[in-house]
Amino acid sequence: MTDIAVIGGGIVGMCLARELAMAGRDVTLLDSGHHAGTTANAGSLHVQMQSRFLRMYPELVPNLEASLPLYPEAARRWRLLAEDLGADIELRQSGGLMVCETAEHYEFLAQKCRREQALGLQVEMLDRAALRRVAPYLGDAVHGAELCAEEGKLNPLLANEALRRDLQARGVPYHIGHRIARIEAVREALLLHGTDGSVIRAGRVVLAAGAGSGALAGSLGAPLPTVAEPLHMNITEATAPLILHLVQHAERMITLKQLAAGQVVIGGGWPARFAGPQDFPTVEAASLVGNLSLAQHIVPPIGGLRLLRSWAGVNTTADGQCILGPLPQEPRVHVAVPGDAGYTLGPLVASMAAALLLGRDPGFATDRFTPARFSRAASG
Amino acid sequence: MTLDFEGRAIAVRPGQSLAAALTEAGVLDLRDTRRGPGGRGLYCGMGACQDCVMVVDGVPNTRACMTKAVSGQQVMRQPHPAPLPQRTTGTRPLALEDLPEETPELLVVGGGAGGLAAALAARRAGVEVLLVDERGIPGGQYYKQAMPGLAPMDAQQSEGAALLAACREAGVRILDGTEVWGAFAPLLFLATRHGQTLRLRPRAAVLATGAQERALPFPGWTLPGVMTTGAAQTLWRSYRTLPGRRVLVAGNGPLNLQVALELAAGGAQVVAVAEASSGLRPLALARMLRAAPKLAAKGLGMLVTLRRHGIPLRRGRLLRSVTRTADGALLAELDDGTRHTVDAVLCGYGFQPETALLRAIGATHAMQDGLLRPQRDAQMQTSMEGLYAVGDGCGLGGAPAALAEGEIAGLAAARALGRSAPSDAPVRASLVRHRAFQDALWQVFRAPFPGLVLAQPETLVCRCEEVTLAQIDAAIAAGPGDIGEVKRRTRCGMGRCQGRYCAPLLAARMGVDDSFAPRVPARPVRISDLLGS
Ligand SMILES: Cc1cc2nc3c(=O)[nH]c(=O)nc-3n(C[C@H](O)[C@H](O)[C@H](O)COP(=O)(O)OP(=O)(O)OC[C@H]3O[C@@H](n4cnc5c(N)ncnc54)[C@H](O)[C@@H]3O)c2cc1C
Ligand SMILES: Cc1cc2nc3c(=O)[nH]c(=O)nc-3n(C[C@H](O)[C@H](O)[C@H](O)COP(=O)(O)OP(=O)(O)OC[C@H]3O[C@@H](n4cnc5c(N)ncnc54)[C@H](O)[C@@H]3O)c2cc1C
Ligand code: FES
Repeated sequence: MTDIAVIGGGIVGMCLARELAMAGRDVTLLDSGHHAGTTANAGSLHVQMQSRFLRMYPELVPNLEASLPLYPEAARRWRLLAEDLGADIELRQSGGLMVCETAEHYEFLAQKCRREQALGLQVEMLDRAALRRVAPYLGDAVHGAELCAEEGKLNPLLANEALRRDLQARGVPYHIGHRIARIEAVREALLLHGTDGSVIRAGRVVLAAGAGSGALAGSLGAPLPTVAEPLHMNITEATAPLILHLVQHAERMITLKQLAAGQVVIGGGWPARFAGPQDFPTVEAASLVGNLSLAQHIVPPIGGLRLLRSWAGVNTTADGQCILGPLPQEPRVHVAVPGDAGYTLGPLVASMAAALLLGRDPGFATDRFTPARFSRAASG
Repeated sequence: MTLDFEGRAIAVRPGQSLAAALTEAGVLDLRDTRRGPGGRGLYCGMGACQDCVMVVDGVPNTRACMTKAVSGQQVMRQPHPAPLPQRTTGTRPLALEDLPEETPELLVVGGGAGGLAAALAARRAGVEVLLVDERGIPGGQYYKQAMPGLAPMDAQQSEGAALLAACREAGVRILDGTEVWGAFAPLLFLATRHGQTLRLRPRAAVLATGAQERALPFPGWTLPGVMTTGAAQTLWRSYRTLPGRRVLVAGNGPLNLQVALELAAGGAQVVAVAEASSGLRPLALARMLRAAPKLAAKGLGMLVTLRRHGIPLRRGRLLRSVTRTADGALLAELDDGTRHTVDAVLCGYGFQPETALLRAIGATHAMQDGLLRPQRDAQMQTSMEGLYAVGDGCGLGGAPAALAEGEIAGLAAARALGRSAPSDAPVRASLVRHRAFQDALWQVFRAPFPGLVLAQPETLVCRCEEVTLAQIDAAIAAGPGDIGEVKRRTRCGMGRCQGRYCAPLLAARMGVDDSFAPRVPARPVRISDLLGS
């Protein structure tokens, strides 16, 4: 029997368990031990809006703008967390560049930049000449960029490990390899049925299970459309310091950056697929070629580097926004699923979820993040 | 003909590898590591370990063992981290479909005994066959061909040359210098050849990628001059380059004896051969003689020749450590306390199958004696239809077994492709004999794999990311987690060799039958090569 069970030991679940433990609560962390976005992600700290999405889905602009204030705060939370953990997680807020290749796209970025400035972001436009000075590694194809000072990067391997050790030091029970098949609500408790036949009793439950959250909510009759999305990543061998910023493309799928140890991490959302009897996330040749050829197109020296490894990780998507708060069907069960750029949002979303659970002020309006929105949508 | 090594002119012979030219000139230390200068030299000699990367004509991360030495080449030790050449213009982004495509009926990856036999059998049954091999001249480890201009050294090389010629004559298309690094289900392979990436889309494929020597960490095992027995064998057999003047050979199995003799005949002073197994087992010997009298006699002959050369054979002995002396030589100590001052230490402690492509494509593997091997049916077909695996890549069986397996797979593939092929009954019978011989042979040389027994807390287990045994033990003790979790905690297995060498060591340390998740590329691939720019 535990007071609060957190299902999912990704970035959100770990931070959440930590906050609850710090608040003196009896908390248990359960994780199935595979396919986490947290263990596969690229460690980019994203703040500015995706220009491409704004163009493709103008109807989503209000949502994106409403969530925007979360991101600079999320980056700040990462800084605080790193200090708090006392670990070097190679966090650098060295700025993020969203590059474009044409005057037309530059103009679109400039508009976005003005909106973001109005909403309080530290952003500015850099034309070709200005860009040459700050980012000489970019190629001739790049016309200009929007620079967001708050963006940056960290090393997820180090951050995850520091968090795990912190939880261990705090004595938080952390069961890895424990998969919950379904949740049963009885009057006095919630019963977490493990796939191994075990049952854990909890007073309350938080679903921080990423793409696995939907099925668990579903076992309580609550609609939660989380989708597992396998994505492609690449890493090169190390080279001398070359790329200072987090680099993204305004119109194409790519993010890249250089880790402190010198490797260049290249991703940006190219698709992977599930394969084999265990649905192992597996890379696709087309993504590998497409992603890397784009990387050397915007940062030409990368052509001289060798690709060491590619991998596929499982991202969680729903409607792009965070899902936070109690299930209307079973208020003892809360949800904590981050919106786009979920690793960036992880520590912040965890502390908002903790606040909601403990009846404290989450610091941001959370109405639009409620899981109830999916029940409303489902009932028409 | 000379190349320029940091301002020094070094003689090259046409066809020689860069590693051979540098070794001949006494240059062993090829690059720095994260820990600083005085780093690494040639280790595997076959393109797998990636320890020999240098800056060649301005391009960092170029493997000296797989790169031809060319007159006028500019070669530098590689600093860490290596800077990249400046470049401001990239190539226009490409799609997979933009890459040149080959669609042979049968693709054979690897031109060793297994691959050549498979190609020949299928071709003779009328199949259109493309064989690719990463080396300048195919032949693989057993038939290891000499660089152009050198006469075959012995029957081993001339038989290989004859088999290659037979393949060519039969109409097998052969692409040398072609490294396959990507494998995607159902049957798509990506390969790089002379700076250009190819898409290979066969209807069936035989993977015959051979084996590597297993890594055995001991204090000093990463010092330049300490290399695998196979690396030294390639230096000598392919390039007529001795790994050093004074040589110590240490390991387990007949290859060490053979190489010791070859080097001694080539003029090296072989100070000793330390063999891990402790004694001749008469029963096993008798069985070996029965299974293949000629091969067994050849083996016994080796012992006699060893004595004639005055090379002491120390049975039941392992290396304890290697250190560098003030005058640049290597001081090797055996576990009987004897010390040997040499220029090169050769280690050969058994082999591990090269399974990277088979795992990446999704074929089912099983763990046997701590190593992953693909599962196959009697036709050598893996768990995936149309995908066959033969030879040492499925577990060490020796060249005759690889030939037999290759022929069986080639015939099976031909049948699957609608050709009528001769019966494989005779070759099957021979395979049974070859396997019996191998079994008996390894009974004679039976010794437990030392694993991490020789490693000290500060010894590197992961050469690439420089992870010590102490760090690995600390990470295992830090909390529950599978092998992937320990990899993420320590970076063990995240380096250039992609975990080939450390994965079995880590799994054994953790007491699990597991390995790192399979990943593409199977070998590091230069991004510009991917684009053909
Ligand atoms: C390849 C890739 C690159 C990315 N790059 C970035 C980036 O650079 N920056 C960024 O901000 N975001 C990035 N993301 C997104 C980010 O990784 C995720 O949004 C984030 O990690 C989600 O964290 P989480 O804790 O919500 O979920 P996860 O990390 O997915 O964790 C969920 C956990 O729940 C467990 N679980 C699921 N179901 C059950 C169950 N039934 N019982 C028990 N346990 C269960 C899973 O095993 C998993 O460990 C990337 C994602 C991918 C896939
Ligand atoms: C280092 C070493 C030395 C050996 N020396 C001897 C010896 O002297 N005497 C003896 O009896 N036995 C020796 N053996 C064992 C013997 O070589 C093998 O039993 C026999 O060669 C097996 O043939 P094979 O075709 O399976 O593999 P191999 O002969 O190893 O052939 C595999 C071929 O595939 C190529 N290849 C691998 N991966 C790729 C890729 N991704 N793309 C393109 N090409 C690729 C390799 O370069 C190689 O040419 C040795 C084995 C090793 C590993
Ligand atoms: S020595 Fe060149 S790759 Fe191993």
